[in-house]
Amino acid sequence: MKRRREMKKLDFTHRLDISKSLDEEKTQILNENDALSSSLIENEKILKSIYQDCSDVVYRKFLIGRETQALLIYIEGMSNIEEMDKGVISPLIQLENVNLVNIQILLEEKLTVSKATPTSSFQDVIQQVSSGNPVILINRQIQGISVGLGKWEKRAVEEPMAESVVRGPREGFTETIAVNTTLIRRRIKSPQLKIKKMNIGRYSQTQVAILYIDGLADKSLIEEVNNRLGRIKIDGIMESGYIEEFIEDNPFSPFPQILNTERPDIASASLLEGRVVIMVDGTPFSLIVPTTLYSLLQSAEDYYQRAIIGTLIRWLRYSFFLIALLLPSSYVAILTFHQEMVPTTLLLSVAKSREEVPFPALIEALIMEVTFEALREAGIRLPKQVGSAVSIVGALVIGQAAVSSGLVSAPMVMVVAITGIASFSIPRYNAAIALRMLRFPIMFLAGTLGLLGIMLSLIAIIVHLSTLRSFGVPYLSPMAPMQYSEMKDVLLRAPWWSLKTRPHLTGAYNQYRQTNGQNPKPPKDSE
Amino acid sequence: MNFEFMIKKALLFSLFIISSFILGGCWDQQEVNDLAFVTAAGIDKSEDGKVELTVLIFIPKGKSSQQGMEGGGGGGAADTLFRSAEGKTIADAMSTLQEKLPRHIFWGHCKVFIFDDDLAKEGLSTHVDFILRHPQLRERSRLFVSEEKAKDILSLIPPLERDISEVLKELSSFRIGMDVTAKDYAQMLIGDSNASALPLIKILPSTPGQEKQTIAYVTGTAIFKNGKMIGDIDDSVTRGVLWLRNEIRLATISVKPNGKNDGFVSMNLLRAKSKIIPLIENGKWKIKLYAVGNSNIVQNTTDLDLSSPEIIKPVEKQLKFEIKKRVNIALWEVQERMNADIFGFAEAFHQKYPKIWAKQKKRWDEIFPSVEVSFDTNIKIQNQGMNSVLSNHPLKGVENK
Amino acid sequence: MIEQGKISSAQMAIMMNPSILATVILLVPAITAKNAGQDSWISPIWASVIGYLTVLLAYMLNKLYPNQTLIEYCDLILGKFLGKVVGALFLFYYLHVTGIIVLEYGEFVLGTFLTHTPMIIICGSMMIVCAFAVYGGLEVIGRCSEIIVPVLCLLYLVIFLLLIKDLRIQNMFPIMEKGLTPSLKGSIVPQSWFSEFIIVSFFFPYLADKDKGLKWGFISVFSVMFLMVITNITTILLFGKLTSELTYPVMVAARYISIADFLEHLESIVMAIWVAGTFVKITVFYYSLVLGTAQYFKLSDYRPMVLPIGFLLVLFGIWSAPNLQELSHFLGTSAAFYFLSFQVGIPIFLLCIALVRVKWLQKKGSMSG
Repeated sequence: MKRRREMKKLDFTHRLDISKSLDEEKTQILNENDALSSSLIENEKILKSIYQDCSDVVYRKFLIGRETQALLIYIEGMSNIEEMDKGVISPLIQLENVNLVNIQILLEEKLTVSKATPTSSFQDVIQQVSSGNPVILINRQIQGISVGLGKWEKRAVEEPMAESVVRGPREGFTETIAVNTTLIRRRIKSPQLKIKKMNIGRYSQTQVAILYIDGLADKSLIEEVNNRLGRIKIDGIMESGYIEEFIEDNPFSPFPQILNTERPDIASASLLEGRVVIMVDGTPFSLIVPTTLYSLLQSAEDYYQRAIIGTLIRWLRYSFFLIALLLPSSYVAILTFHQEMVPTTLLLSVAKSREEVPFPALIEALIMEVTFEALREAGIRLPKQVGSAVSIVGALVIGQAAVSSGLVSAPMVMVVAITGIASFSIPRYNAAIALRMLRFPIMFLAGTLGLLGIMLSLIAIIVHLSTLRSFGVPYLSPMAPMQYSEMKDVLLRAPWWSLKTRPHLTGAYNQYRQTNGQNPKPPKDSE
Repeated sequence: MNFEFMIKKALLFSLFIISSFILGGCWDQQEVNDLAFVTAAGIDKSEDGKVELTVLIFIPKGKSSQQGMEGGGGGGAADTLFRSAEGKTIADAMSTLQEKLPRHIFWGHCKVFIFDDDLAKEGLSTHVDFILRHPQLRERSRLFVSEEKAKDILSLIPPLERDISEVLKELSSFRIGMDVTAKDYAQMLIGDSNASALPLIKILPSTPGQEKQTIAYVTGTAIFKNGKMIGDIDDSVTRGVLWLRNEIRLATISVKPNGKNDGFVSMNLLRAKSKIIPLIENGKWKIKLYAVGNSNIVQNTTDLDLSSPEIIKPVEKQLKFEIKKRVNIALWEVQERMNADIFGFAEAFHQKYPKIWAKQKKRWDEIFPSVEVSFDTNIKIQNQGMNSVLSNHPLKGVENK
Repeated sequence: MIEQGKISSAQMAIMMNPSILATVILLVPAITAKNAGQDSWISPIWASVIGYLTVLLAYMLNKLYPNQTLIEYCDLILGKFLGKVVGALFLFYYLHVTGIIVLEYGEFVLGTFLTHTPMIIICGSMMIVCAFAVYGGLEVIGRCSEIIVPVLCLLYLVIFLLLIKDLRIQNMFPIMEKGLTPSLKGSIVPQSWFSEFIIVSFFFPYLADKDKGLKWGFISVFSVMFLMVITNITTILLFGKLTSELTYPVMVAARYISIADFLEHLESIVMAIWVAGTFVKITVFYYSLVLGTAQYFKLSDYRPMVLPIGFLLVLFGIWSAPNLQELSHFLGTSAAFYFLSFQVGIPIFLLCIALVRVKWLQKKGSMSG
């Protein structure tokens, strides 16, 4: 006991050490917060010490008007050099009147680039240089100029891979945050659309943008998002998944509490519902908060296809949601516990096909499900050309050989296949993963307590879902707490002209999204 | 709360749950491969006063044996196996039976119970009670009384259906005879009339050389009084009973239209419904049978032109007369000869005259034979059939029924 | 207040529906039919009067003490000592009643589905799930029931819909053969169930829209009555006099469904309804018990009480009756008196004293003022 306490103490002190060293490192870097000095040589020295061993940083010295020393700093490959030559260096070098060497005058009269801002601290300079904007430092000036000529290789706007639609826009977000915000801005042109940027990641300095529509999104929600993002202290952000884990409400839930999307149309629609979109540089996946379970089960296309079809597809999806979760376990429960609950003819034909299977139904189901999951995982990771080979192997080995050798019964293969199809039909990959994961414990319970086990686990899942909140919004809303007026967008997909109000919990600020009485009517007879 | 602590807690908790399940074992788990599905059961009275239980068990044939069958050309080998055992009670016999079977007997799909008439004559109420009491046995299982031993009936191999239970289930769903489930029978037993009825089955004579390849079919009705079988009525009398019980669904009636002795008009009954209306007048108990329905003409062997309304009228009249005749035969057989109220007259009187019934309840056995039954039918001929090309060329040899 | 969450009156009404109905659907149709015969469908209508009465009682008490639950205002009405005694009685009563519910649940599952599984596993697993919900608090219970209950009611009605072809209307006649007495007699047992509505007094303080509390309470009573009438009518039309001989008429009714030889053997639906309904019922009672206990001992949080009380409930469930017959007999005979005296008698008594106190205080106030 005593020893344990000591260990704990040790552990604690050790931890203290780590935090101390972190702080020290911080202070070391923090001297960049200092203002630029007026001596160019000194500035250069400090910058060179900061960018020590960074061979990709280019220092280009030149004279303005043949006498004033100036230094151009940029990172190779991140800036548009031609524009730089044309718009910055040549006007400066050809400058005649040396008296004009003043930051303000240069900015206003000489530089022929559209984006140029004064910078006054090392922090600024480093940030600008790191994000690709060349910085000009001039002797005897305590300010530098950063020129917005960042340019690097980027992927073009392509069709999103994970969320494809038959009808709907084919643009998807890219890895570049500027492109992504543009895609949103192109859809929502109102100045009410606000885009706040911040940098997260001590080393990566990843740009993160918070998008919302002023007057639609709840003020406290925006503040909460700001706070939660502000709390993140980490080395680097490689993907929005990092951020998602830092800001979600219940980190141990299998259900995703934050929606991610590659589609600008989904993000824009969410903004119009009063939600907040978080974009992260370097990934095409942006986050949408708050999220409810129903929004995970909706696809953008529901709103593009005609209303009746949208409703039907939604119901199909809801039922497949349940099938994906419960089918294998129900099969196990009924076959091993409740043989009397199947219609006689069905049971007898299943019994026939199971006669020579050497495994208990639970084991059989587990083997098949695990194989299927592995197959699917393999199919995703492999290059496309090999992927088809995997599916052939899967179909042949699992489907054909296993059944004909009598190791697995044919109904089981069907059950697994239907479950697989059902989980593919859920539009959100992360929601589908949650179901895939939950399927296994339910199967175990079904194997020990039968239908009772399934019911209990289903109830436990419902209880869990009711405890979940996503940024203060109950996860199951608008079903629970019940909001009757929103049922027409959950149980149905009512036509657009009847969806008059925004979702209650996110759009309460500004309730109506359209005027009344827009339903198409036959033209009145003109008398 | 830090992460490591939570993980530890979660791990401990799940370990506890999982181990409690694994250590406890799977209590009620039964693999399909370890079960013997009973599809029908027969109960006979054996010589020494015991009951003999015979069960029909489905043999799940695996894939390979199916292939084997294909190779062998398929001789119609049975999908089922039948076993019997004796015991003092059914439950007793069930446990003896289990000794002779390597798999757990599973009763949840047993839909047919056959009793032999010797047992029926002693009374079936205790056996029906067992069917209702046993958690696996179904309230919807159908009951039959057989003239032969139930064991012999279960040993038949029906050529068309999977097994004999399927045959009996399908046959009784046609409602040609009575269709009585265990629940219905229990209701009859505790009903006001003290009489009950079950369908009677018999083995259909088979082609010589293939003795076992035949089925049992419903030939009539066994009549019970005070829980004991007191007699039976045949198929055509059963029809009359069905009219009185409002259970007629499918019937073909052939009549000889007025004055024409050389041919028949056959009609299929559609949407027939009957209703009994009790009436007590001056101390006389009466029943009015009111039947409505439509019928289609399916065959005409007379030279009548049935397309004219004047000719249809007498045919309709004749049809009513025919139905009345059937009902009368049933009444004569069951009401007068056996004095068993299987028509539900007692309930009808009870429902309409609860006060009088309360007083006269005990005298029902005396009242019932004297209840007068009158008729009021409204059965229309709705349809002449598709074509009537050869209607004036009489054909011969059409049997009545 | 210990409970931070708020629920809406509609959520309360939805929660209360299976809290009454869940156990009714198993044993009560048979018990009612024993007394009322073919009139058993009238009995719930009489019995529902008690339901309205208890909701009204809870509402009036809540008017006087808007932020307190039953356990808390016992103290305020009866004074320190007597209040503590009555509070303890109530807590013990709820412990017992919840134990009975757990037992009914266990016996049913044991008797019809999992005959070899130990009772402790069946009850224990349910209690774990319930504890999970109670731990989540009132809001979570409210939301769960909003998801579960509509589905339950739908499935329940589907059972009856599928039975339509087997129903015989004649079984209902003669209506009121022996006057009102049998149906009134038959209503005694359902009355004790309806009196369970007093549990709303634990929820009234936490309603977000208190003014609608009474309305939704009455709607809840009505919905329970409606479903009970439907249940009793269906069982009577299907089984007639046989109803009283069956242990679980609704269960047998579901087993009896057979449509087109394929839509048959639907007892799993009853099982699902039953398990989910009992979950809501146990959770509501369990929550009230836990909350009441915490308030009785003036704790700052009720969550530490969840697990110990859950453990106690499993034990009470296993011990409160040795078998189903005893339980059914108890419920059919003396239980009515026991339930009614606690759930109607004591609250009426409390209300009277409270009203007198208020009058007295007013008089004192007017005299001094």
